[in-house]
Amino acid sequence: MTMNFEQFKEKLLMYGADIRGWPKDISSSALKALDNSPELQKLVEDEKRFEGVLKTRKYEEPSRDLAGRIVAAALPKKKKTQRNFGVFFSEVLSEFSLSRRAFAAISVSLIFTLIIGFTIGYSNPSGSASTEHYETHLEDFLNYEGDVL
Amino acid sequence: MLTAGIVASVAYSKDILFSSNHGGRQITVNMDAKRLNLDDESLICQIQEGSHEAFAILVDRHSNRFYRIAYRFVSSKDDAEDIVQEAFLKLWNRPNLWDAGKGAKFTTWFYRVVINLCFDHRKKKKMINLPEDIEFADENPGPDVLYDVHQKQAVLERLIQELPERQQLAVNLCFYEGLSNSEAAQIIGVKVKALQSLVMRAKTTLKYNVKQFLDGGSR
Repeated sequence: MTMNFEQFKEKLLMYGADIRGWPKDISSSALKALDNSPELQKLVEDEKRFEGVLKTRKYEEPSRDLAGRIVAAALPKKKKTQRNFGVFFSEVLSEFSLSRRAFAAISVSLIFTLIIGFTIGYSNPSGSASTEHYETHLEDFLNYEGDVL
Repeated sequence: MLTAGIVASVAYSKDILFSSNHGGRQITVNMDAKRLNLDDESLICQIQEGSHEAFAILVDRHSNRFYRIAYRFVSSKDDAEDIVQEAFLKLWNRPNLWDAGKGAKFTTWFYRVVINLCFDHRKKKKMINLPEDIEFADENPGPDVLYDVHQKQAVLERLIQELPERQQLAVNLCFYEGLSNSEAAQIIGVKVKALQSLVMRAKTTLKYNVKQFLDGGSR
């Protein structure tokens, strides 16, 4: 199949100036047409120059560690350590640089104070509020007709 | 290059080490040589089961390729790297987004993911502000040659960015990435004939505009 000027021009735009890289079924007929036509040769030269201009487009290589950076970002983040009382108290100990014995003494005295506090609180009769004083007289409230001015 | 290093050492060792340092954080991934030979789709299946190693192999295999296409759209190294990272992290966090049942190649699908992120990014950032009154200097090389090269690159970039989105896609995928027409058509979601027409229109427009500039005109 021979290729005319218009067909050649179309394929040239479609597949580029490297005729040997065109699909096999058209490249041989294109090369034949090219051999016999100075017009087509000029067209190919133009296309090569144009592709040369396109290839001057700016490009920057990626960072060498791009893949590593992505892989690192996908790593599961370290879970926060579970805090429990043991860890908390050991941190307090180290914070105040108390000996174990001193810390035990402080703890016992605190617990003892708390027990005494609760004992006094529950056993003091004068502190209990009389329910009678605070009873709401519902009937009086309902029958109240307002102050007479 | 890391990939080349890995491929070269496959023949000699059973396990290959992927190791890199990030902000003082040493990342080390053991790569099983068998896994290195798996195709992309099998690796994704393993990623869906939570394999970080399979993810590392996939990233190492393709990060540069997807960076290239992202760079073509955003024209900034940092932004292109961020986009590729975002795309891969999306895959890692939601691997089921890739549906093997649809029969698409991983790369075809992932090109679409990256390109969509690029378009989102451009909308947010309102792409490169090139000077409007830019002109080509005369052809005689002088002390301003370097400036001239940068200027020409800037003009070319603007001419490409001014193309309609689909034509840009066609040029970037077919000309700059060297993908086959059928693969590029699949990525854009058009038939091969339509893709060819996009390439032709894009190149005709570009050729006309580039010629105008080279002839000394300015836009």
